[in-house]
Amino acid sequence: MHGVELSMENISVAYNGDITVLKDVALRAKPGKVTGIIGPNGAGKSTVLKTIFGLLSTRSGTISMGGRDITNLKAFQRALEGVSFVPQNRSAFAGLSVYDNLLLGCWPFRKDKARIDRAIDGIFERFPILKEKRSSLAGSMSGGQQRFLEIARALVTEPKVILLDEPTAMIAPKISKDIYALTRDLADQGATIILVDQNVRQCATISDKLYILELGRNKAEGSREDFATDGQLKEMVAEWMNYKIDV
Amino acid sequence: MNELLLQGLVNGIVVGLIYALIGVSLNVIFGVLRVVNFAHGEFIVLGAYGAYFAQAWLGLSPLLALPLIFIVFGLMGYGLYFVLVKRLARSNDPEHASLLVMFGLSLVLGALMLLAFEADARSLNFTLDPPFLMFGNIILPTTKLLGLAVAVVVTGALAFFLYRTLPGKALRAIIMNRDAIQIVGVDLNHLSALTFGLGLGLAGITGILVSMIFPSFSPFIGQDYTLIGFIVIVLGGLGHPIGAVAGGILFGLAEQTAMVFFSGTVAMLLGFVLLIAVILIRPAGLFGVQNSR
Repeated sequence: MHGVELSMENISVAYNGDITVLKDVALRAKPGKVTGIIGPNGAGKSTVLKTIFGLLSTRSGTISMGGRDITNLKAFQRALEGVSFVPQNRSAFAGLSVYDNLLLGCWPFRKDKARIDRAIDGIFERFPILKEKRSSLAGSMSGGQQRFLEIARALVTEPKVILLDEPTAMIAPKISKDIYALTRDLADQGATIILVDQNVRQCATISDKLYILELGRNKAEGSREDFATDGQLKEMVAEWMNYKIDV
Repeated sequence: MNELLLQGLVNGIVVGLIYALIGVSLNVIFGVLRVVNFAHGEFIVLGAYGAYFAQAWLGLSPLLALPLIFIVFGLMGYGLYFVLVKRLARSNDPEHASLLVMFGLSLVLGALMLLAFEADARSLNFTLDPPFLMFGNIILPTTKLLGLAVAVVVTGALAFFLYRTLPGKALRAIIMNRDAIQIVGVDLNHLSALTFGLGLGLAGITGILVSMIFPSFSPFIGQDYTLIGFIVIVLGGLGHPIGAVAGGILFGLAEQTAMVFFSGTVAMLLGFVLLIAVILIRPAGLFGVQNSR
């Protein structure tokens, strides 16, 4: 995994032209690090990821990846540039086999058969359960297995930036633990990871840097250590979550 | 009686495969774009006129006109997507918006065909030697057999494309989860335009088969084919490409075997009874899955 730095500067996004959902949001995610985004419901966390991936267009500001401005690229072009997105909602194609789901993940290099074979073999090595179920329909698998398939499909292109939106939502605790371990492992291998999670404790535990959003704006940011030691930050999180974090 | 019934069954399979092609092309467009192409029948009739004029002006047999019509209609569909369909697909309620716009397009195309080709019904001057084959007491016109062979080849090629190639799988993936397809790096606009091109290309081919198998065609019959297409896709399952094949054959068999015993009107009525029965027993159609997207 060869991650690159991804940065957002003064990003504003509006739905239907006039409902502002992000206002001057800034963020910097570095290779080999997990950048966590936390905040109360409606803070705009998922909107940030959708904007980075190009599913929502910006009203102002710039998004750059490895120093290159990608603000005006469409979603499929950002995927070709090496951005992978695992959305919160189910995104595995239920009526296709596990293998075909992974094959579709290889769309950016679909004409290179040898690379496709290598990429899918690599995924099967990392996720033996997917190899075991390669011919099964994705829709026939459990929620946790489908989530692994979605993450695996996002990894098949060896992306530079991985966007994970609530990867453990509605997933059994045992599987959630594995997903967090995988997330940390991918970052340690060099990937740039941006993680949105409602589970503040877990997000704070595995993230190297944390951003707090509130009402579509940057509220605070800091390193994992800052969140462990800075009483003000702890208080802020406790205020909107009625939740204390210990990291 | 048994021979008549057998004749009805054979006719049912031939006509059913034509209906299946109408349904498949309509279903692919609906499944991928959520656009109700109410003008589909008019494009089929245009395909029939295409075969007629390809023969009259260029001396091309319908078989040779097939690839030409497919390409011309495919390109027309690709272009029409960007002119008309793209905006519909982005609306909050593409089904209703497209139904109204495509109904308008259907009226416009029908009126233009009336202006250009006049109201007279036309027939393709196409026969094979021998014109009939006899199997016992069953008479099979060879043009129908050829039409059947073409329909089987086209359906098979389409099934191969949808189930064995990566673009075909991507197209089915859009039907399953439109929001997720962009995540894997697919250019949704390009694939949607290709789909509309494919749908109209198939409509053009179906028009040629219609001109070969049915006695005549005129500018007024487009909406009949659209209606049949909708019956077929509701029978097979909305958005399910291969379900439409089963729906088409089932509807064709029901209609043609009923014609052995009853008048044409009653036979058509029985087709609708079949539709209502399927909806009552399996509301999502024979191959449909509830909440598939």
